Amino acid sequence: MGHIIDPKLADFCALFKTNSIASLQALHAPAAQYLENAVFPTTREERFKYTRLQKLLNASFSPETKLEKEQLQTYAIVEDAINIYMNGSLLILPENLPTGLTIEALNSTSNHFEAEAFKDVFSAMNCLYANNGCRIVVKANTTLEKPIQIIQVHAGAAAFFRHQFVFEKNAEAKVILANFSLKDAVGFSHTHSAIQVAQDARVQIQKIQACDAAHFDFNEERSNQASNSVLEINTYTLSGGLVRNDLAAIVQGEHAETKLNGAYLLADQQHVANYTTIDHHVPNCESFETYKGIIDGAATAVFNGKVFVRKDAQKTNAFQSNANVLLSETASVNSKPELEIYADDVKCSHGSTTGQLDDQALFYLRARGLSEKSAKTLLLQAFMAEVLEVAEPEALSQFIISKIQERFAWEN
Amino acid sequence: MIKIQNLHAQINGKEILKGLNLEVKAGEVHAIMGPNGAGKSTLASVLAGREDYEVTAGSVTFDGQDLLELATEDRARAGLFLAFQYPVEIPGVSNVNFLRTALNEKRAYHQQDPISAKDFMAMVREKSALVELDAKLASRSVNEGFSGGEKKRNEIFQMAMLEPKLAVLDETDSGLDIDALRIVSHGVNALKSPENACIVITHYQRLLDYIVPDYVHVLYDGKIVKTGPKELALELEEKGYDWIKETL
Repeated sequence: MGHIIDPKLADFCALFKTNSIASLQALHAPAAQYLENAVFPTTREERFKYTRLQKLLNASFSPETKLEKEQLQTYAIVEDAINIYMNGSLLILPENLPTGLTIEALNSTSNHFEAEAFKDVFSAMNCLYANNGCRIVVKANTTLEKPIQIIQVHAGAAAFFRHQFVFEKNAEAKVILANFSLKDAVGFSHTHSAIQVAQDARVQIQKIQACDAAHFDFNEERSNQASNSVLEINTYTLSGGLVRNDLAAIVQGEHAETKLNGAYLLADQQHVANYTTIDHHVPNCESFETYKGIIDGAATAVFNGKVFVRKDAQKTNAFQSNANVLLSETASVNSKPELEIYADDVKCSHGSTTGQLDDQALFYLRARGLSEKSAKTLLLQAFMAEVLEVAEPEALSQFIISKIQERFAWEN
Repeated sequence: MIKIQNLHAQINGKEILKGLNLEVKAGEVHAIMGPNGAGKSTLASVLAGREDYEVTAGSVTFDGQDLLELATEDRARAGLFLAFQYPVEIPGVSNVNFLRTALNEKRAYHQQDPISAKDFMAMVREKSALVELDAKLASRSVNEGFSGGEKKRNEIFQMAMLEPKLAVLDETDSGLDIDALRIVSHGVNALKSPENACIVITHYQRLLDYIVPDYVHVLYDGKIVKTGPKELALELEEKGYDWIKETL
């Protein structure tokens, strides 16, 4: 491995050991080369303009606590699921898989990661340092009855995780990818998910982010869709100190549908950044993106959503919206929707709104006898309804609502 | 029921109510009429506790309590109801769900148990029929996409559900056609009892053909300047508000 010039980046990289994962060997050289010439991100960098990472550099990570299977199981959100549990380097895979589903550890020799253009140092580091994760393949024409539930519980320390999801032709599956961390455990995690969606496959991925305020929760998804496929990725950020999501969806097959929904609920000093890209390469595809946020305290949120419509992607229908409610004077959001269209026969729209709760509505509800708190709860739930109603099954949506209520001390 | 004494109120530094006095007893219906800008809606807003208005002098006693000391929601729970001149549309908040919360918070305030789902739904059916409000409308988002008449009927439906001691109807007749006016008035009259009271704020006399007041007050320049029996409304209609100005 080469020499990293930037001392801050070198210090951070020194926390990790280069992995010996066979499927990542080919990516080691380009990743190392990227890091040699890179610097630890500062706010001068566009992608980190509103995200201060000094805290991450200064963090002294708690020693890692090893958790037992029984402890990990208490984090399961959905009862009837195919469960994968992770904690540091521990990976517990399910037994008795249904026909058409294979789950292997990251070091499986059948794994194959495509070369990628690294968007930031963390992407590159993930190739070098990921030491836990799995490869999930849903075979052609398989419909999974139960969701796959991946529970990652972080307990201090810093680690990179890497998953590969392969949904073969006409497969149908639902995945829950949840991140938790122990209370007050200072830790960092970066989870990379490579998602391949073949022709006619229908996939829903629900990301639940419920880490403690002491945890740095970084995530990136790279998806690739073939024709007639449907991919829905919902990102629910319920807590966590500094949370980053970098989601890039590439659409390379015609008549594919891509749905990205996000809900983020911030309080205190929390920072949540959502960077999304939908890249339409071919004609006749649709994408729908809706992100909604409620920001309280001195929290800061970032939404940056890019939609590319390439020259050949005629008849693309792309819709994007981001809406935010600020609950305090000190809360803030930076919202940047971006459309880049190179085709001439497309329907695209985007919009971004940021406001406060409607005073008139609040007064109306209070004038009927609702406390200020329950009036606010009703209005915020109504605001969020659109992105919460895609949270399924019922147990998942109940989990999200209970976390929200806990967070903002909402009432039923 | 309610006693308003020497009430002064301002908004953005501009005094609107300039020493208003009014007393309403249980079982009574009072109409407050007056020209635009006299302070009619300000009175309704101040009674309901809208925070944009600042009370600078005077007192309001409601059922033995200092009304001005209570938060908006506690005024409602204590039995004050304001039918809005412009009911607010609240997308995503179900009309019946919010009413159930409102009813239960009121019951909790009076140390009563929450209403059962069954009793609540029976009540919704009964009260929505009273104002001929489609049960489907009753369960939709609050006022969203409602016509002007439906919004006003929804106000009276909510009033029927919450069973207030004192209802203040703020220009409930504005924007209503004759049929809607008849339905809304029928609802208000059906809810009348010796234990409750009603203040009807209106610009026009026609509402008072349907909701017959015991007293008519004329509000002008922030004060009640004339009080009379129901015939006063007819006289006002005939002679216009200029007549009041001339007599002052």
